[in-house]
Amino acid sequence: MKSPALSVQLAPHNKKGLLLSNPVMAASGTFGYGTEYAEVVDIQRLGAIICKGTTLKPRPGNPQPRLWETAGGVLNSIGMENIGIDALIREKAPLWAGWKVPVIVNILGESIEDYGKLAKRLDKASGVSGIEVNISCPNVSAGGMEFGANPKSAAEVTAAVKAKTTLPVIVKLSPNVTDITEIACAVEAAGADAISLINTLRGMAIDTKSRKPVLGNVCGGLSGPAIKPVALYMVYQVARAVKVPIIGCGGIATASDALEFIMAGASAVQVGTAIFTNPCTPLDILEGIERFMKKEGIRNLTELIGAAL
Amino acid sequence: MKLVNAPIISNTEVLPNIYLLQARAPEIARLAQPGQYVMVRCGEGYDMPLRRPLAIHRISKDGIFLFYTVVGRGTAWLSQRESGERVDMFGPLGKGFEIYPSSSNLLLVAGGVGIAPLLALAERAIDSGLKVRLVIGEKNAAKIYPERLLPPGIKPVITTEDGSLGQKGMVTDILPQFIAQADQVFVCGPLPMYQAISKTGKKLKNKPTQVLLETVMGCGVGACLSCSIETRQGRKLVCKDGPVFEFGDILWDKIAAPACSGRC
Ligand SMILES: Cc1cc2nc3c(=O)[nH]c(=O)nc-3n(C[C@H](O)[C@H](O)[C@H](O)COP(=O)(O)OP(=O)(O)OC[C@H]3O[C@@H](n4cnc5c(N)ncnc54)[C@H](O)[C@@H]3O)c2cc1C
Ligand SMILES: Cc1cc2nc3c(=O)[nH]c(=O)nc-3n(C[C@H](O)[C@H](O)[C@H](O)COP(=O)(O)O)c2cc1C
Ligand code: FES
Repeated sequence: MKSPALSVQLAPHNKKGLLLSNPVMAASGTFGYGTEYAEVVDIQRLGAIICKGTTLKPRPGNPQPRLWETAGGVLNSIGMENIGIDALIREKAPLWAGWKVPVIVNILGESIEDYGKLAKRLDKASGVSGIEVNISCPNVSAGGMEFGANPKSAAEVTAAVKAKTTLPVIVKLSPNVTDITEIACAVEAAGADAISLINTLRGMAIDTKSRKPVLGNVCGGLSGPAIKPVALYMVYQVARAVKVPIIGCGGIATASDALEFIMAGASAVQVGTAIFTNPCTPLDILEGIERFMKKEGIRNLTELIGAAL
Repeated sequence: MKLVNAPIISNTEVLPNIYLLQARAPEIARLAQPGQYVMVRCGEGYDMPLRRPLAIHRISKDGIFLFYTVVGRGTAWLSQRESGERVDMFGPLGKGFEIYPSSSNLLLVAGGVGIAPLLALAERAIDSGLKVRLVIGEKNAAKIYPERLLPPGIKPVITTEDGSLGQKGMVTDILPQFIAQADQVFVCGPLPMYQAISKTGKKLKNKPTQVLLETVMGCGVGACLSCSIETRQGRKLVCKDGPVFEFGDILWDKIAAPACSGRC
């Protein structure tokens, strides 16, 4: 049997489109700007790379400690440290312009206008294949999750970004909400080309010796295999509520994890924390998906998308 | 940097709760510099998502040694691995110690398991014909690095807090005796030791001093920003810009030690 077709179109209604050679991408905040792991990972084989969350001005982030391991998971409170949009466009995007793998820029604003400005800056930058709008970061005091917590502001951010760019726009949702389908429908109606979910779940850890919170910022975002069932169910729920492509994320570490998300309705997946455990995880997953499809006699990945719905 | 599934040659408890692990990893050994580290995958599957950073203790032609204290579940798991098994290592990572071309006398100051990266440095320096003075500080004699394991040519000066071996007191107490002859100083130990040195900082003032810092790490390659700290030279990533830093660049009252939750 010839190799199964793995490519996916994540922005079918966008003029530019967002065609991935395969459905496995590296999640924002865990893969830097794409270059960091290049000595051990053939990054050009990835479906896409989502770079670190980027704000208008550079940010220093939260105090140490910023990371802590929990059972099967990780709490992080990086606090959106990043180089800022100017440095990203000046220093990083030109590198990406020569890459085969599409790079998507994750953006975060403190206000709705910020999101619009960020989108405008990226619109003409060569090397940028799409925008992922982060309305779901639990680690910043202003912006981020605040906008993702209610359908109205989530839609406003989406519309503000869409108004300023023709690039494909993915909106990344937070699981820290009562009804995620409500938010998903709102951003779809506001023009999102695709929806990614989930970002991290809020959590904390306490150092029993010092009797104080472990993280410098007290609260952090939980990621890793521990959150997979939560993420999977949210993808399933959202897939039944919207028509735009969905990108599943949260605790994916193996090909069978990824296939579960695809069967729950995701057209593609993002791998984050599992990259820390093994930088080759995304490519191992890709090979695993291919093996599965060959074994099951599946010619095109689209046959599997939403198979469990 | 390489990802290596390295066969374990030996992994033995050489001091109470402290292990010496020798692994065959020529790919890493070839590139390794003293002060660099590897990220070791611990546990089965993904039950411990974070790799553990461990300094490269000694470098041989076809492998590296690690020297580690069992403090939590990762190091406990590692300590149970036996020769013949494999351990997944990622490295060498970070920026190691830098010996200046003009230096001929080096002072190495080890607090506890902080001797780990300093032995690689001592060996490298001796091989290059430099003079090395190694000072080791520990709580008591039972925890002092076994002499039989030291590389040839190294006779450490020992201090113990209870006086059970060598000079009684803290390693910081005896530094003034050796500072004058040293062209460069290299320190590795627990944070309180660094903070003590920074308080008596005047004694070190004119000597270029390098120190190895620890923060919890996610990626080890500068991709996740977990290890970012503020320094006098701006923000730095411990995993990539470090773990070795100029002592004077660190804002010692702002550094936080990793927590020790779940270790009781
Ligand atoms: C560059 C570098 C070199 C090191 N070299 C050595 C060495 O040669 N020998 C040695 O005994 N120890 C060394 N350490 C400390 C070692 O990484 C920790 O003791 C180890 O990670 C603890 O893991 P655990 O699962 O046993 O403990 P747990 O407390 O269960 O670990 C929980 C989490 O916190 C992290 N963590 C806990 N303590 C530390 C720490 N001090 N530094 C960084 N992360 C920590 C762990 O990696 C893990 O992600 C080094 C640390 C760094 C940053
Ligand atoms: C250290 C770290 C940094 C992260 N930074 C970002 C970020 O900048 N922007 C963002 O949208 N998500 C960020 N995330 C969330 C991940 O992209 C992902 O949504 C989440 O970790 C769940 O996936 P996982 O379980 O595969 O890690 C970060 C996660 C981690 C662990
Ligand atoms: S550990 Fe990831 S940036 Fe330093």
